[in-house]
Amino acid sequence: MRRRQFLQTAASVAALSASPLVGRSARAQSKNVLRIGMEAEVLTLDPIKTVYGPDILIQGIMFARLMRASGDRKQLFPALAESHQISDDGKTYTFKLRAAKFSDGSPITAEDVAFSYTRMRFQKDSAYAGPFTALEKTEAADDNTVVMHLNKKFTPFVQLVEIWNSGIVPKANVQKLGDDQFGQAPVSSGPFRLVDWRKGDRVVLERNPHFYREGLPYLDGVEMIYVPDDNTRVSMLRAGEVDMIMATPFQLIKQLGAEGFQATPESASVINELLINHAAEPFNDVRVRQAVSMGIDRKAITDAVTLGLGQPASSLMAPVLNYFNTDLPVPVRDVAKAKELLAQAGKPNLSFDLLISAGIASDERTAVLMQSQLAEVGVTVNISKVDSTQEWTSLVDGTYQATLNWWYNETLDPDNALRWAVWGPGENKSYYTRYNNDKVNALLEQAASEPEGDGRKALYYEIQKMAYEEVAQIGLFYPPFRNVYSPRVQGLRLNPGYQFSTMDETKLVG
Amino acid sequence: MDRFAFVLRRPLQLVPVLFGISLVTFVLVQLMPGDPVRIMLGPRASADAIAAVRARYGLDQPVLLQYGYYLLNVLRADFGRSLAYRAPVLDVILARLVPTICLLAYGLVMSVAFTVALAVAAARRPGAWVDQMVRLFCVAGLGLPSFWLGLMLIMLFSLRLKLFPVSGFGESPVDVLWHLFLPALTIAIAVTPILTRNLRATLAAQSTADYAVAGRSKGLSENYVFFRHVFPNSLLPTISLLGIVVSFLIGGTVVVETVFNVPGMGQLMVRAVLLRDYFIVQGVTLFFAVGVVLTSFVVDIITVALDPRVKL
Repeated sequence: MRRRQFLQTAASVAALSASPLVGRSARAQSKNVLRIGMEAEVLTLDPIKTVYGPDILIQGIMFARLMRASGDRKQLFPALAESHQISDDGKTYTFKLRAAKFSDGSPITAEDVAFSYTRMRFQKDSAYAGPFTALEKTEAADDNTVVMHLNKKFTPFVQLVEIWNSGIVPKANVQKLGDDQFGQAPVSSGPFRLVDWRKGDRVVLERNPHFYREGLPYLDGVEMIYVPDDNTRVSMLRAGEVDMIMATPFQLIKQLGAEGFQATPESASVINELLINHAAEPFNDVRVRQAVSMGIDRKAITDAVTLGLGQPASSLMAPVLNYFNTDLPVPVRDVAKAKELLAQAGKPNLSFDLLISAGIASDERTAVLMQSQLAEVGVTVNISKVDSTQEWTSLVDGTYQATLNWWYNETLDPDNALRWAVWGPGENKSYYTRYNNDKVNALLEQAASEPEGDGRKALYYEIQKMAYEEVAQIGLFYPPFRNVYSPRVQGLRLNPGYQFSTMDETKLVG
Repeated sequence: MDRFAFVLRRPLQLVPVLFGISLVTFVLVQLMPGDPVRIMLGPRASADAIAAVRARYGLDQPVLLQYGYYLLNVLRADFGRSLAYRAPVLDVILARLVPTICLLAYGLVMSVAFTVALAVAAARRPGAWVDQMVRLFCVAGLGLPSFWLGLMLIMLFSLRLKLFPVSGFGESPVDVLWHLFLPALTIAIAVTPILTRNLRATLAAQSTADYAVAGRSKGLSENYVFFRHVFPNSLLPTISLLGIVVSFLIGGTVVVETVFNVPGMGQLMVRAVLLRDYFIVQGVTLFFAVGVVLTSFVVDIITVALDPRVKL
C-alpha cells in the first residue's frame, strides 16, 4: 500500500466513524423474558458446589426440591414429593414422589432423589452438607418412594428438604458429564433450564417444558445479568434494559419508588453485625464486649446506613425467623456505664483494630460512625480496610480482633441460624468468633429434637437471651433485601431465605 | 524490504518479555493474602469441601512447583482452569477478548477522526477562535474523569434522549456499533485531547518550516501545501504517541467497561484479582503483554511505511 493510499484509507475510515447515526437495530427481545440485574455473578450451576449468593439464586430456579416454599417462605407445599410421612421416633422420613420429568424429558425417579441427597450429604466437596448432618442414609424403596434415615430426632429436617442444595439432579446426566461439566451445563428439574451461559456477563435460561407444575412457569425465560456497578444497574432499570435489580443502593430505593418502580423493601433473614474474636484480647473479656456493645448507638447507625429501611438489632438472628426472642430490647447506649465496665476490666484506654472490606459503602459508613461513637467512651477504633478476600481469610483464621460482616439463613427455622452464629462445636466456630458456651451448645441440641410449640420456643428464647447477655456478637441492624422491580413484574419477591421461590408463578405484564 | 527486517524480528522479543511477566505476576498474585477457594465456595462452605477443591487445583503444592507446572502447560497452550468459573482460562478470556478489542478499535477510530479534524481546524489558523475552542476542549477533556463522563453520557443519551443503550455489547455488527457508541465516545473524549495537542503543535511548527515556505513562494495553494506536504510530515510524532495511548488503553478500559457494563477483559481482570482467580490473572496479564508488544510492532511498521528515511 502506497503512502497516499494509506492516508486516504485512514481518512475514509475516520469519516465513517464520525457519522454518529448508527441505526437502532431491531434486536429480537422476547417480551416475556425476565431480565435481572445482579451485583454479583454466577460461578457454578451445580447446587452442591457452592453457598455463594448468585449461584444459589439461579440453582434455586433450575432445580426442583421435594418441597417448595411460598413467596414469603412461611408455608411449605409438596413439590416433587406428593406427600411425606415421619415415623413415630422422628428418625425415618418416607417421601412419595409424583410423576415428574427432568428438562430433557427423562423421568425423575426415586433413584435420582437418593443419588442427589447422597451426593449432597456425603460427597467430599459438597459445600453445605452441614445442616444435613443428621441424615445418615437416603434410599429408593421403589420407583416413587424415597426413605431417609436420620440418626436422631431432628425437627428442622422438614424445612431442609426445601433448600436449594437439596435440589434434585439427574443421576444419569451427572454421571455422564462428570461434576465439572455438569456444573457448566446441567440438565435441570425446576421451572427453567439452561440455554446459554456467557461467563462474566449473563446466564440465559428458558422455560422448562417438562416442569412438573402444569402450565408453569408463565415466563418464557430468565436472564441473570451481572452488572457490578450500582449506578449502571439503576440506569439499566430506568432505561428498561432489565426488569429488576438487586442490591440497590439504599439512597436510591425511595427515589425509584417515586418514579413508579416497585421498591418496597422485602424482609430478609439478614443481620449486619460486628464480629468479635473471643479467642484473643480484648474481646475475650465479657466486660469489654458489653462496654463496646453499650457504647454503640444502633439506632443512629441503622438510620445512617439503611436510611430508615432497616431495624436496629436486638437478638443475634433476624426477626423474621421462627422463635425470634421478642422480649430482648435493643441495647440502649450508655456511655457512663460503658466507661465503668472498661475501668473494671482494667482497660480504660481500650483500642482495637476493626477490619472492613474496602468498597462496601455501608460497611465504611458503619465503621466511621462506630469509631466516633466509641471515641466518646474512650475507645480508639483503628479501621483497616482490606479487600473482601483478605477479610474472609483473617476471619476464618482468627487473626482479627473485630470485623463487620453479615449473614442470612436459608430456612425460617432458628436451628440452622443459631448453629451458624453461636454453636461452638460447629465447623465455623460460631461464625469464626470462637464463642463457645457449653450450656448454649447443649440447649441447641435439645431444641433441635423438640417438637414445634411452646417448649421449643422457650429453649430458643433462652439461647438468644444467653448470647445477648454475654454479647456473643454485636448485632447492629436487620436490613431488608434491596430489590427494585419494574411495574411489569408481578408475583415475584425474594423470600427471607434468599430464594425466588415464586419464579414459576411470576408474570410480566404490559 | 530490508528496511523491515528488524521490525519483523520484533515478535521474537515476546518470548523473554512474556516469561518475565508471567514469573512476576505468578509470584505477586500468590503473595496476596486471601484464599480463592473460600471465596468461590461461599462463606458457609465446609472445610472439607475447601480442602478437596484446593487439592484438585494443585493449590496445596509449593508455589515454585506450581509455577513450573504452569509453564509446562502454557507451552502446550493450556493456560490452566479458572478457579472461579471452573472452566479453561483460554475459553473465559477468548469470550471477553472480542468486546474489548471492538471497544478499543471503535474508540481509537473515533479518537483519530476527532483528532485529525480538530488539529487540522486549529492549526490552519493558529490563535483564531477555532483554535481557542479546540484548546478549551482539550483542557476540559483532559480534566474529565471517565467514570463521571460515562455517567453523564448515560443520563443524557440513554435515559433522556433514549438514543443509545446503557449497557451491553450487542449481537450483530451494527448492534455492536450501536451498543458501544457511548463507551467508545467516552474513550475518544479522554484520548482525543492528548493526541490533538500533539498533532496541532506539530502541524503549526511544520507550517512555517522551510519547505512549506518554499512551496508557498513557488505559488502552490495553501491547501496543497498543507495537505500534500505539511500534514504527512506531521503525523509521525502523533502516531508514536498513539502507540503509547493504545498500550495504556489495553487493560485501561476497565473503568469504561464497568460504567457501561461491557463484558470485557478489564472487568475480568479486576474481578479475577478480587477473587484471587490466579490463573485468570496470569492469563489476562499475558494477553495484555502480547497486546502491548504487538502495538509497538504495528507502530514501527506504520512508521517505516510512512517515512522512507526511517531505517530501523
